Amino acid sequence: MKTMLSSADITSIDLYHTWVRVRLKAFFMITVFMVFCLLSCQEKSTKEILKIGLPEEPRTLNVWLASDSNSWKILSQIYQPMYLRDPDTLELIPWLAKDMPVLDRENMSYLVTLKAAKWSDGTPFTAHDVAFTAGVFHDFKVPRYYSKWKAVEKIEVVDDHTVRFFLKKPSAIILSRVFTAPMVSQKRWQPVVDAALKTRKPLRTLQNHKIESPLGTGPFVLSQYQKGTFIYMEKNPRFFGTGRTMAHRRLGPWVDGVIYRMYGTGDVAILALQKGEIDMYWWGIQPGYVAQLTQTPDIELFHNHKSALYFMGFNVRKAPFDDRALRRAVATLIDKEFIVTRLLQNYGIAMHSIVPPGNAFWHNRDVPRYSEGLNRDQRIAKAHDLLKQAGYTWETPPVDENGNIQTARNIRLPNGNPMEKMIILTPPADYDPKRAFAGMMIQEWMREMGIPAFARPMSFGALLDKVKGKHDFDAFVLGYGRLNLDPDYVRTFFYSKNDKPRGWNMSGYKNPLFDDLANRQRAEMDRNRRRELLIEMQRIILDDVPYIPLYNPDILEASSRKRFNGWVESLEGIGNIWSLCMVKPVTATELNP
Amino acid sequence: MNRIVFISKKAVELFILFFLILTVLFFLFRLAPGDPVTRMVDPMLTPEDAAHIIEQMGLDKPLTTQYMIYVKNFFTGNFGFSFHYGEPVARVIMARLPCTLLLFTTSTLLAALAGVFLGKISAWKKGSRMDGVLSISALVCHTLFVPWFALMMLWMLGFQVGWFPLGGIISPELWIEDAPFGLKVLDVIHHMILPLLTLFIIHVGSYLLLMRSSMLSVLKEDYILTARAKGLTDRVIRNRHAAKNAALPVVTSVGLSLAFSINGGALTEQIFTWPGIGRELIFAVSNNDYPLAQGCFLLIAAVVLSANFIVDLLYAWLDPRIHY
Repeated sequence: MKTMLSSADITSIDLYHTWVRVRLKAFFMITVFMVFCLLSCQEKSTKEILKIGLPEEPRTLNVWLASDSNSWKILSQIYQPMYLRDPDTLELIPWLAKDMPVLDRENMSYLVTLKAAKWSDGTPFTAHDVAFTAGVFHDFKVPRYYSKWKAVEKIEVVDDHTVRFFLKKPSAIILSRVFTAPMVSQKRWQPVVDAALKTRKPLRTLQNHKIESPLGTGPFVLSQYQKGTFIYMEKNPRFFGTGRTMAHRRLGPWVDGVIYRMYGTGDVAILALQKGEIDMYWWGIQPGYVAQLTQTPDIELFHNHKSALYFMGFNVRKAPFDDRALRRAVATLIDKEFIVTRLLQNYGIAMHSIVPPGNAFWHNRDVPRYSEGLNRDQRIAKAHDLLKQAGYTWETPPVDENGNIQTARNIRLPNGNPMEKMIILTPPADYDPKRAFAGMMIQEWMREMGIPAFARPMSFGALLDKVKGKHDFDAFVLGYGRLNLDPDYVRTFFYSKNDKPRGWNMSGYKNPLFDDLANRQRAEMDRNRRRELLIEMQRIILDDVPYIPLYNPDILEASSRKRFNGWVESLEGIGNIWSLCMVKPVTATELNP
Repeated sequence: MNRIVFISKKAVELFILFFLILTVLFFLFRLAPGDPVTRMVDPMLTPEDAAHIIEQMGLDKPLTTQYMIYVKNFFTGNFGFSFHYGEPVARVIMARLPCTLLLFTTSTLLAALAGVFLGKISAWKKGSRMDGVLSISALVCHTLFVPWFALMMLWMLGFQVGWFPLGGIISPELWIEDAPFGLKVLDVIHHMILPLLTLFIIHVGSYLLLMRSSMLSVLKEDYILTARAKGLTDRVIRNRHAAKNAALPVVTSVGLSLAFSINGGALTEQIFTWPGIGRELIFAVSNNDYPLAQGCFLLIAAVVLSANFIVDLLYAWLDPRIHY
């Protein structure tokens, strides 16, 4: 039953409310005070710990499953290959191996001698581990490795530190693709592998195996992993490289550990770098940050080339894109300098061949360069000539009888039919603004010739499904951000047998002469002769232009020089194992010279 | 209607609805363009590798077979393994759920409490300067663009003033050095203040406006006039007669917001690098990680449906005029 409140009751309620408010205020103030006091009174650690920011959390530490770059940033500090690229020359040099492999042409085998290295648990790394790793690649058909390791017929363990690889047939990619694979410990993985082989889906079981503490031979070992927040890796005291001189560098690691922290956006990571929360951000930064970062005294900017290719591809399986003249005309219309200066803000280069110029040994400088050095009118006039000679006509041609450039209208194919609407698929601007805007610019340049082109950004997954899965497209703008330094991908992209769903010949290019050269280069063991074949392959592609190479953006990275220095610059920037073996704490003299 | 009959009927309805969601989710993901392998732009991955991965994921089977396995697994409590993490979906979700709940539930509750309190005052003092300030502030808060505001908060309080960390939930140094538990708790609170404050400011406006509008209509009711005629004090009329009745729509809104807080906020989590479920949801959907995406959405569906059910029951408790 409800009763009326007396004035005494109301007064007591008021007093109670006042008391609650006072207590809440006091609690809040005490909490804030304690947070600041305790956080500022912490004892600073004497360890020299490098702090690196990552754009995303590594998806997995399972070496058999990892496919994303962030997972490999961690795993590459743990699992080591037999051979590694020299950061200066980009040539492969012995890493876990003692010397370069010795080829026995008679038996078609490679003999590899291993260094006296140890796993991080103290057990020795032996030839048995190499053979075991190879066995896993083969038995489980591990994606990305199996297709390359298929070339190895058998592996013979000669002794604990010598292993011989017998090849089925000569293969040029053995050194770059097989001997650079990460090695795992037999002792650690044998029970897991045995159990997985007994299951219905062995590969999936192996990939779903939970890794608590990965065992490797690399410079760092995993110490702590708080999911979603940080990864702490400690210096591996048993790292085989410590104190050795490799690639003209005396290797460390010279830091006690590395903390990897994740940052959800590049903006926040840059602020963290400026504030000193991290010493380096392991991801390319946008050119727009350069002005802001150069004004920060402790920030050092690094500007390096990438092994990348951004390109426009045609569906040459269907008309009119099966016409080489049309593709050449489009290649002529594209103003690559505009793309480099405006879209890349001069942080990149125009690409003219499939192999980037940074990969100097394999790059062909003498491929046809359709639009280089031409202004807008000259490009239109040249493209007009190409198309006119191939039988194309216009209601209003782009060039009038007096040679003046005018707005072209209604282009007609050589058979007299009007050209149908042509769609250029691009990733959306929020995924990659450069590719999206490049697509729009190409649309405009093509319209100047009367070609009814329409750039259509679409979700990346849907784009790849159309281009790579269903082959349902006219043209597209895509890119490869990290191309392997071995140029066998030239074959992969244009080999006729790769024109199948999910195959990498997305354009559907078929050329028996190219196929023959591709097969020969793959089997050519002599590096210089292989180079000649690859140079010719690049020339053929740029002659037929199923892909029009567009640009290669540079990689811009930033680090703080307040606490550490010694970053090693290479083709892909400073984020590499060499840097982590070479970065040193800044000395007092270096800090205050 | 008898309360038990009502609850039973509602439970059956919810189960059917949940099963429909379960089915729609399954087909929605598989009918979307691409599959988990499509996005792997790696020339080292051959078509044979892709086919092998697809087979190992069980995606090579007919859709109906996959669906039967999916339903069977669901009813046996098996949500499968994430394609990308290689971990059980339940483990991936459970690792992130506490962080999301901690931030978003706290911010929703705090914003609701403050919104109800301020909305009550604003309505009571309708037309006053305080009402004007509160209403305009609420409108501004309500219309703030989350990513911009979150970045501004980080820039001002995290970078310029330097009071708070720029993201994350903990300071790695404390965990590496194995600091005392109390210090770790304070560290989490320290990291939480900035995202919490951001979410609080963004949400408090809508609760304030809702409460104000509801309170204004309640204040016109006859029973408020009766209460005044009885000689009750303003405080009692406002707090015990008007506010309690005006809070009903806010309760519904808070109930649903609490339920939806389980999916976090992808943008807020992204900017503050908060290791919650929102970022995982976006990742799972954009990378066609079917088991993980399904697991996240099913969890959200279950919580939202349950919250609706609880709100229905709560209504009757708060307003005796409502009968089943």
